[in-house]
Parts: sequence; structure tokens; C-alpha cells
Amino acid sequence: MKILVTVKEVATVEDEFEIEGTEIADQYLGADLNEWDDYAVEEAVQLQEAGVADEVVTVTIGPEDCEQTIRQALAKGADRAVRVWDDSLEGVDLLDVNAKTEILSAVVEEEDPDLILTGVQAGDDSFGATGVSLAEEVGYQWGAVVNHLEHEFDGDVASVRRELEGGVEELTDIELPAALTIQTGINEPRYASLRGIRQAQRKELDVKNLADLDVDESAVDSDLELTDMYEPESESDVTVWEGSADDTAAELGELLRDKGVAP
Amino acid sequence: MEFGLSEEQQQIREEVQRFAENEIVPVAEEYDTEEKYPHDVIDKAAEMGLTGSYIPIDYGGAGYSILDTAIITEELFSYDPGIALSIVSTSFGCEAIMNFGTEDQKERFLEPVAMGEKISGAAISEPDTGSDVSSVSTRAEKDGDEWVINGNKMWITNGTVGDFFVVLCKTNPDAQGRYNGFSQIVVESDRDGFSAEKITGKLGIRASDTAELVFDDVRVPEENLVGTKDAAFMQQMQFFDETRTAVAAQGVGIAKGATRAALEYAQDREQFGQSISEFQAIQHKLAEMATDTEAARNLTYKAAWNVDQGNDITKLASMAKEYASRIAVDVADEAVQIHGGAGYVNDFPVERLYRDAKITQIYEGTSEIQKNVIAREMLGKGF
Repeated sequence: MKILVTVKEVATVEDEFEIEGTEIADQYLGADLNEWDDYAVEEAVQLQEAGVADEVVTVTIGPEDCEQTIRQALAKGADRAVRVWDDSLEGVDLLDVNAKTEILSAVVEEEDPDLILTGVQAGDDSFGATGVSLAEEVGYQWGAVVNHLEHEFDGDVASVRRELEGGVEELTDIELPAALTIQTGINEPRYASLRGIRQAQRKELDVKNLADLDVDESAVDSDLELTDMYEPESESDVTVWEGSADDTAAELGELLRDKGVAP
Repeated sequence: MEFGLSEEQQQIREEVQRFAENEIVPVAEEYDTEEKYPHDVIDKAAEMGLTGSYIPIDYGGAGYSILDTAIITEELFSYDPGIALSIVSTSFGCEAIMNFGTEDQKERFLEPVAMGEKISGAAISEPDTGSDVSSVSTRAEKDGDEWVINGNKMWITNGTVGDFFVVLCKTNPDAQGRYNGFSQIVVESDRDGFSAEKITGKLGIRASDTAELVFDDVRVPEENLVGTKDAAFMQQMQFFDETRTAVAAQGVGIAKGATRAALEYAQDREQFGQSISEFQAIQHKLAEMATDTEAARNLTYKAAWNVDQGNDITKLASMAKEYASRIAVDVADEAVQIHGGAGYVNDFPVERLYRDAKITQIYEGTSEIQKNVIAREMLGKGF
């Protein structure tokens, strides 16, 4: 079985930050492998270790800067990586789900995997749609928000547990080829071992542009426009008393009684 | 001249940071307070390959260079020196086996350490033998095809948790010259006559295990002798550049951790209606701490790089060790000062770093010994 894992370098934000226009100011941003993708990579590597998967390939859409992040997945056990980037992507502010779907589906056509694992969502733009949209485009079955995957496959069928709302879970059998969007907590992602980091430097990281994949440049045009970004007003209610504990303890006690916290 | 780290080295640094933040920081205070060895953390570190990172790939290690290892050491020590030392010391003594051991010894001893299945130690100091290493009195005598060992070793890292120790013994009391007649012999801790008593009440690095070892007619097969009989001093001296550079990296790590903690606290703490980081007195402290740390780091990396090139750097390694350990103590001191009263209790990591820093000026040759070495080299007085 061949597994394709879609991975993304996401922007991470410090606790305190400022917004400039429709973006968080650069100095407050860091970068890391998308948390959900980390779980997807771990799941794929575990399937390989269990002898179910023969090859694990990662694919990402991103500039050269993100290679160090993408190599994390190679260090954890993925066999090789594909990175898609193109001059036409340089100036794009918002790469929407349609564009990602079109680019990734071209990679799926080339790689022809039996199983696609994606994160449920990306930690930065949080569309939460790419995995399912990709499955639909390439004609794969799909299962979203998977929090358990049986490692013993019954022929071409993946048995998954999916997380529904309200604490309800569902067991589903999904015929391969399929795409599963992986939820955090499905496994415990490993640290990249020192040997793994060393080996990752020598693993194949193939770079492709849109022409290589026969994807038209118009695919990156988006119908979506980011119009505003702001911090929502906090709705928490805080009462602060000035003064010594002796003076204010009684007031606190009264408030707690009022709120029904203390009897 | 090239000052940058490779992509791989940056990746190592980031992954070690991730490990330390998740696995060390939450438990650091507990292990320090209770003075207990962090077996659970060691197991996780072994999975990641942090134990014996410099052991060659052929023997299960990662085959990392001295500079790579210095980066790992710096990062781990910046979060908690006690647990960090427990991790990096799991292969103490193995450098002798790696460089002078037989193929059989390498397979028997290096592999299980690299895999995290065994813990090693180096047993050099004795109750009456500190800086004057030539006064070692632990005796190994040949009896048939066995060595019979008698004596005491003091301040031995991993003493009660180690599976084997590379023990410096006197094998030829008649040898001429004060540095001759010593050998390194591997002693497994399950041999009859071996016992270890944990030393408690240390000022710092309290998670790390330290013990006194007693050898009472301990018998080991003759093939446990590492390298050449009676030549242990010449063998051991070859590692001074490596081990002193490693302690320098520990000092850089402690200074880095103390600066990070102080910077964070200074920005959070408000007095007189503003963050104390707005006061120039605090700013200047932070600036000096960061500058000193960077200078110590450059000295340490330069030493590590030179060791990796195969250069003999007696003076430079001693400079790095002496300076970085001094900076560790100074910077940790300033970090406590910036914390004020909060830095005097163990609610914040600086209290621990302040106590932990001191050992770097003492072990692997005191600061005074390092200065002797530097001056001796400058004056061309030789060994």
C-alpha cells in the first residue's frame, strides 16, 4: 500500500501579537509543521512499521523556506517528499481550497496512492476542507475527523472511528482508495530521532512547479478575499478589588455567593 | 570562515527544544526537589536517540560530531541541567571504549548504551584524588585470566544507576613517572564485591545520580581492559578536549536558560506602574547576559569545531570550559537578581539554574586547573 500524506507549514502566533491590516505582524509569527499533519504523518509511519504500507510520501505546497519543516516528516519516517511551488504562487495572499485541491489532485494522479491522509484542518487558516475536497476531486472515498484507524486492513477496506459532535463517535468501513482527515489524539506523534534527522537530509525531496503537474496557472486565482482580521471583544467579566486581603476577602466571599459558586 | 549552522543542526536544535519543553520542563522541579534519577525521561530520550548521540551508527548511535553534541547539550542544559546531565551522561566512559576498545568491547558495551538499554559511567576521582589524578590508588591486580580490583571511587556520575563503569586503576605500582602504570578496566555493576552508595544533599544537578563506589575484591575477565595496559593516562588525556568542550556547552546552556527566564520575567513583572523591562538597569543586565552568553557560545563552538577537525586544542578547550562555566554562574546570578524575591524560591527555574551552574566550574577540571593549563600552554611549559 502506498500512502500520501499532505503536510503544511503553518504560521504560529505568539500569545501577544498585533494585527496589521489583514495580517498578524511578522515579528509575532513563527512557523511549524501543522499539528494535525503531525498526527497524520505518525499514523502513516505506524502503518509502514506494521507492514501495511510499503511507501509513505508527503506532499506540500510551499516555498523553499518550508523545506526544513517538511523534513521533520522525513525525519520521523516518511520515505520521500514532494514540494510544489511556482512563481505564480509567490504573490498569492490566500490560497483557497479550490486551488489546493487542483494542485494536490495533480500530485495524486502522479503518485496514485491507495490511501491519502490529511490533517482535519490547518492550524493557521483553518479551512478544514482540503482533504475532503481533494477526495471528491480525485474520486476517492473519504472519511473526515478520523480519531482511530484499524492497522489491520480487511482487504481494501479501512475501518475507522470518526468523531461526531456532542461526544458521539461512529465506526465506518471505507473502501480504498480513500482519503482520511486525521484528528489530533489518534496517536502520540514521536519526536524525530537523531538518526532520523540525519537520514532525512539524504531523502528525496522533489520540487515541482505547476507546469510539471499540468496545472494551469489560473488555478491559483481565488474567489475568496480576506477583508478583515481582528481580535474579538473579550466577553469575560473580571472584578478586581484593590486593597489588602483582610479588606477584600469578604467582598470576594460575597461575590462567590452571589454567583452561586459558594454556598 | 563559516559561522552558520547547517539545516540539519538547526533541525536537531528545534527537535531537542521540543523534547525539553514537553518532557523535561513539566517534571524538572519534582526531580530536583526529590533528588531522584529521571528514569522515565531517560527512556523517552533514548527513543529519540539522545543517549549516546556521538556513538557511531554502526553501534546503534547517531554518529554525531562534537559540535552536534555541543548543540544538543546546550539546549538540554538550558531547560534543566540536572535532567540534562542525566541524559548526556548515560554514555560517560564510552569514549574510551569507542577509541581504544576491541571490536568485541564495542559490540558488548557501546550498542546497549546507544539503544538506551544500559547506562555507563567513568570512575576516576577518589576520596583523596581530585585534581591530582595521578594519585589514584584503586588497584587492579592480575590473578590468572582475571583482574582483581580493590579501592574506592568518589563523585561518580550514574554510580547507583550505571550498568558498567570504565574504572581508572593502578595496574603497575612500579612504573616510572607519575603518569605511568594506570589502566582503564570495565567493571559491570552486577559483579560480586561491587557496591555503590548514593551521595545526597548536592547543591545542584540533583536529578543526576552521584555515588561513591566500593570495589572489594571485584573480579572481571582480562578482556575488560580497555586499550593498552599501563597507558590509561595517555588514553584519557586525549579526551580532555572533548570533555572540557562538553562542559563549556553545559555552561552556555545554563546561561542561555537563565537569560531566557529573566527576559520573560522582566517583561511580565510590573513595578512602579510599568514592566520592569522598561528600566534601564534591567535592560543593561539583560544585554550583558545575552552578550556574555553569545561570547561563551562562540568560544565553545570554535573549540567543538576544532575537535571535529582533529586539531589538538588543549588551550582553547580549557579557555572555553573556564569562560563558559564562569558565564553560567554570573548570568544565573543576574537572572536571580532580576527575579528579586521570586528568584529565591523554586517557583521559577532560575533558582535551580543558579544552584546548578556552580558545578560547571568544578567538574572536568576546576577553573583553577583550566587557568593553569592555559598559562602552561602560553608559556610553552608543556605537559
